Amino acid sequence: MRRQSLWGLALALAMLGPVTPLGAQTYAIQGGTIHTLTGDTFVGTVVVRDGRIVDVGPNVQPPAGAEVVDATGRHVYPGMFDAVTQLGLTEVGAVDVTNDSREQGDFNPHLQAETAIHPSTEHIPVARANGITHAMAAPEGGIISGQASLVGLDGWTVEEMNIEAGAAMIVNYPSLSARRGFGGFSFGQPRPFSEVEEEYHQRVARLDEWMEGGRRYAQAASAGTVARDLALEAMAKVVSREIPVLLSADGERDIRNAVEWAEGQNIRYVITGGREAWKIADWLAEHDVQMILGPSQAMPADEDASYDEAYANAGKLHAAGVKIAFATFNSSDSRTLPYEAAMAVPFGLPEEAALEAVMKNGAEMLGLGDRMGTIETGKIANLIVTDGNPLEIQTQILDLFILGRQVSTDNRHKSLYEKYRARPKDRVIS
Amino acid sequence: MLHRIRHHSWGPPAIPRALAALGLLAVAAPPVAEAQPRPERPDVPSQFAIRGARIVTVSGQTLDNGTVVVSNGVITAVGRNAAVPAGAWVIDGTGKTVYPGLIDALTTLGHPSGRRGGEEGGGGGGGPFGPQGPIDMSRHSWGPEDRPGTHSWKTAAEELDGGDDRYARWRNAGFTTVVSTLEEGLVTGQAAVLNLGEVERPRQMVVATPAAMRVKLQDRSYTGYPNSLLGSFAYLKQLYLDAQYYDRVWTDYDASPVGKQRPEWDLALEPIRHELAEGYPVLFPADNRKEIERAIETSAVMGVPVVVYGAQAGYAAADLLASSRVPALVSLDWPAPPRNGDPEADPSLATLRLWDRAPTTPAALEEAGARFAFYGGSTNPADALTHARTAVRHGLTKQGAIRAFTLSAAEIMGVADRLGSIEPGKIANLLVASGDLFEDGTRVESVFVDGTRFEIPEPSGAAGRARADGAQADAEAAEASVVPMASDKGPYREDRVTFIRGATIMTASHGVVENGSILIRDGKIADVGPNLTAPSGARIVDGTGKFVIPGIIDAHSHIAADAINEGAVNVSAMVGIQDVIDPNDVGIYRALAGGVTSINILHGSANPIGGGNAVVKLRWGSDAKQLLIEGAHPGIKFALGENTKRDRNPDRYPATRMGVQDVVRQAFLEAREYQKGWDAWEAGGRRGIEPRRDLKLESLAQILRGDRWVHSHSYRADEILQLIRLAEEQGFHVRTFQHVLEGYKVADEMAAHGAGASTFSDWWAYKVEAYDAIPYNAALMTERGVLVSINSDSGEEMRHLNQEAAKAMKWGGMDEESALRLVTLNPAMQLGIDDHTGSIDVGKDADLAVYDGNPLDMFAKVVQTYVDGKLYFDMQLDQERQAAIATEKAALIAKHGRNRTGPGAVTDRIAPGPREEVIR
Repeated sequence: MRRQSLWGLALALAMLGPVTPLGAQTYAIQGGTIHTLTGDTFVGTVVVRDGRIVDVGPNVQPPAGAEVVDATGRHVYPGMFDAVTQLGLTEVGAVDVTNDSREQGDFNPHLQAETAIHPSTEHIPVARANGITHAMAAPEGGIISGQASLVGLDGWTVEEMNIEAGAAMIVNYPSLSARRGFGGFSFGQPRPFSEVEEEYHQRVARLDEWMEGGRRYAQAASAGTVARDLALEAMAKVVSREIPVLLSADGERDIRNAVEWAEGQNIRYVITGGREAWKIADWLAEHDVQMILGPSQAMPADEDASYDEAYANAGKLHAAGVKIAFATFNSSDSRTLPYEAAMAVPFGLPEEAALEAVMKNGAEMLGLGDRMGTIETGKIANLIVTDGNPLEIQTQILDLFILGRQVSTDNRHKSLYEKYRARPKDRVIS
Repeated sequence: MLHRIRHHSWGPPAIPRALAALGLLAVAAPPVAEAQPRPERPDVPSQFAIRGARIVTVSGQTLDNGTVVVSNGVITAVGRNAAVPAGAWVIDGTGKTVYPGLIDALTTLGHPSGRRGGEEGGGGGGGPFGPQGPIDMSRHSWGPEDRPGTHSWKTAAEELDGGDDRYARWRNAGFTTVVSTLEEGLVTGQAAVLNLGEVERPRQMVVATPAAMRVKLQDRSYTGYPNSLLGSFAYLKQLYLDAQYYDRVWTDYDASPVGKQRPEWDLALEPIRHELAEGYPVLFPADNRKEIERAIETSAVMGVPVVVYGAQAGYAAADLLASSRVPALVSLDWPAPPRNGDPEADPSLATLRLWDRAPTTPAALEEAGARFAFYGGSTNPADALTHARTAVRHGLTKQGAIRAFTLSAAEIMGVADRLGSIEPGKIANLLVASGDLFEDGTRVESVFVDGTRFEIPEPSGAAGRARADGAQADAEAAEASVVPMASDKGPYREDRVTFIRGATIMTASHGVVENGSILIRDGKIADVGPNLTAPSGARIVDGTGKFVIPGIIDAHSHIAADAINEGAVNVSAMVGIQDVIDPNDVGIYRALAGGVTSINILHGSANPIGGGNAVVKLRWGSDAKQLLIEGAHPGIKFALGENTKRDRNPDRYPATRMGVQDVVRQAFLEAREYQKGWDAWEAGGRRGIEPRRDLKLESLAQILRGDRWVHSHSYRADEILQLIRLAEEQGFHVRTFQHVLEGYKVADEMAAHGAGASTFSDWWAYKVEAYDAIPYNAALMTERGVLVSINSDSGEEMRHLNQEAAKAMKWGGMDEESALRLVTLNPAMQLGIDDHTGSIDVGKDADLAVYDGNPLDMFAKVVQTYVDGKLYFDMQLDQERQAAIATEKAALIAKHGRNRTGPGAVTDRIAPGPREEVIR
């Protein structure tokens, strides 16, 4: 059932298009418990060739010439996907000149994160050492921040990492909130609501102008009656549903407003953040809204909210039938992605759903479900070999395959550890 | 002929008061002769009597049909049949009620700066101190010795503005007397009691000065120290301690100046010296229980009696005010939903309760026997009476209400010998009302100030509220019936004996007891082991499938405090977190829900030497003082590296790690000299002048004596090593390095010094000094012999420190018990509370966290948390509590709404104070 003809595979690959140079080596990961995330879990073998999974099944034999990776007693999972990050776009948070995620101005739809990804950032090896194999590097700030790029977390150059340069448009839906402050903090008195409302409508009107601009540009461009405009060209991709929008909204009302706006615009979209989404879980399900949730390990939004509001959010959404994924919205903390999902488990999210939320769902939401997210023939070979459930802290990531390449789990932290662990004791002067 | 007792050279132009007066209050006197020139302001003569009125004397019995006799501005007789002297005018008071004139116990009348708005509320939290924009260095304070915020020499009496139109407005609202205060500064100056007569020169209004010294806790008239609530408390204490020392020095010098160096005269300390000698009170802002508690504590150090003002949430502090005998000035400007607010706003339970219950404060204070007076607190003085009526509907007796407006205010301000009641000999400040003052529809018809009558013009339009009809009375009764309060704080259960049976017990000290039991008796662990039987009468908790660990201890937290950094100075050892503990921070309960039972609340990292810490247990619902762990060793925060040296405006030394070390070294040199002074005084048999107490140097001297432990924020290995060497040079010890992200590089040196390490599990790269942070840090330092804990520095992270500890198993291969100790026994040892808590051992406090799985796994959650054997968190009971809170909120919102409609600024004066961003 899992074996397809190689011709069929070749055809599939041709259709997907040669974007990223993938690993050329053939691997057979043998003897491990394979968690395909398609509903099947079995002890078997995964064969990886030319960057893709070419075979998987309980009775698959390693092809001749394949490098056999013994996974006996181990577990094989799809690699984890951090669906919104600044990986590659920042190095040291407090040092401005190392940050490339936030361009000036409120509307930068033509900018792509890929341009600024620093392939040798120390953050990437740290993240993948905990099983994160691919991530969306997303610009931040303003209203339309730019395009997020989907990258595999390995490559000598960004071209070797790149999966989809313009994978999604990042739009920060204007918030209608009279509260001052950010996160769990609020500062001083709330602003007069009429003022807040006016500002909100102005911001939405500006956003609408850009959407309308995209539509008109698409028409004019096809008629050849307009000079090329990179920003509107990018917007045309949004309005034509060519790329999805990652639309951020955290508060209950903001989420409602964002969904209604997106539906009115007839765009492909995923809501990101979603802190108070549980309050309208059924409504979101009715509207088929997909959500990339921010960290579960977060404080409740309001003083009187239940202590477990953020922990229980994902479980409530899942129970209502809302499709969810998780993201860290961070760079150095990207490695904690599995714990954001795990935290939701004792508070109502089924374990399998938690795994799907960090491995499978994100890719599907972005329209990339045919290329990644499960262990199936034809999928990009982003795989992790572990000694247990990767959502558990104590689980070790033993082997990594990213874009079909076997990648080391070494990183800056491990090498510093080894270096200082070897510091001779007798050198102490005191 | 009318005799004018006073000549009026200023005041409102010719109001035809006399004509109105004739209609309103019949004066049994011959009419003014037409031929005579009309006097500018005709009035009743210097000797008169009001007869036949109901007289509410306040000090004594109310006379239903009495007479009060006034002569030359003074009451000469009161009684049913008081003799009216021959020649005195007689005013028919039939149907009228006479009260002492009302006193507004806290105003800014007479001072233009106060005209902008109403009185400030209470103390408030931290706050955006200091003005925005360019800094005016002429008003910058570099430390406790600079005092641009102290205006103790200013007196409200001296700076009175004769043209303030508020005198007449207040008088028209029934006030004959106000307490006038200044507003600028932390110590704003001396308050004066003013009579609101029309006088030639403003100073003729003064009844008494100084009546009190008003202080505030935040002020925008200067920049620099103090710039936090923490600093404000320390500043006030030091100021008054300095005045005490100033007094000692001058008393000594004045007694025998010969041969002595003359002390320096000080403008700011001189009046405080006088205040200390006279014993008049300090007026201290405090709205609620925690702030009242702080005011009491602080004023005790200041050495002066205290009167709190604001006090709107006094309904929850009545016992405290009564037992401490601290009087309160209650602001009558009752809080209400904001105008122009968000229609979907979700006001917090605390806010809603204040809207609902603030008007019950006077009744609660009355019932508890606490002393209180009223102040209007609003820009419209007429609101005061309206709002007092609201308080009466909420249970305050009318006697209590009038007393709070009159005699109590006079007593608190030390002028009860001349004001506040209708007694012979007192100033003739009277209010004549059409009936009972606290009934709707009653009008203040005239007032007498120093015996001079002022007719009150009839309010125009519908301003005067009619007596309530039936429907309105019902509405008012509904308004006055408060919404029952859900139990949102405190332990769920307090059993004397609890027996947890059949659980996996991870002791953190002596391994794991499988299928074990814990006996809790009187808050202590009475027994633990595999084969225990439950004593009869014990509450049995089924621990099947559960894991019990010692309550988690967070060695680095910033929750439950209203201020964190006093960063205006590079050494702020004089401040202390214990001054600003917020026992109402919901973060406490959320931490309990994460299994945390004790925390170390630390000052921030804005300066090389920060302030004192507070080691507390999370006894949710207790007052601040009850949170403090008895016997916990005092500590202090130090900080090294980037946070201490970053750019500031204005520049603050240091800007390099060289400078950081220099600041610390200089501070200890100074502290040693300070200690020498005290030692010499002690050695000399305490003869001569007792040295000056310096709160900053006192704290540093405690470090040198080993009485205060250093917990130093640090990142880089080099700065860690430098502080160790400096400590060795200066003769102190570093108890713990906090964060200590490069501790693994100098673990041997830390171990040799005996310094503990309290680190993060896996945060890194947020700044350069965190770039070499590794998640192996805890394991590696432990391996090299350092006592290590993992802390949160975060209200969120603290709720799953068990998971953070488990990361040391993943990164560095730590065993389970050692990992568990990182968040239990080890931090207890670092804080010196391991005798009480930190492991499951017989005799220790029953501080326990119960999980439904192994807490070092991701899929376990807390189901119960015990502090001192009391059940402070329970997952099931939490659901019930959440439901009860939701019900109460719904009822409160139904009653008060979320907002008021209509234009206007949002005036949510009870919004929680701004919180500082914690820099880690």
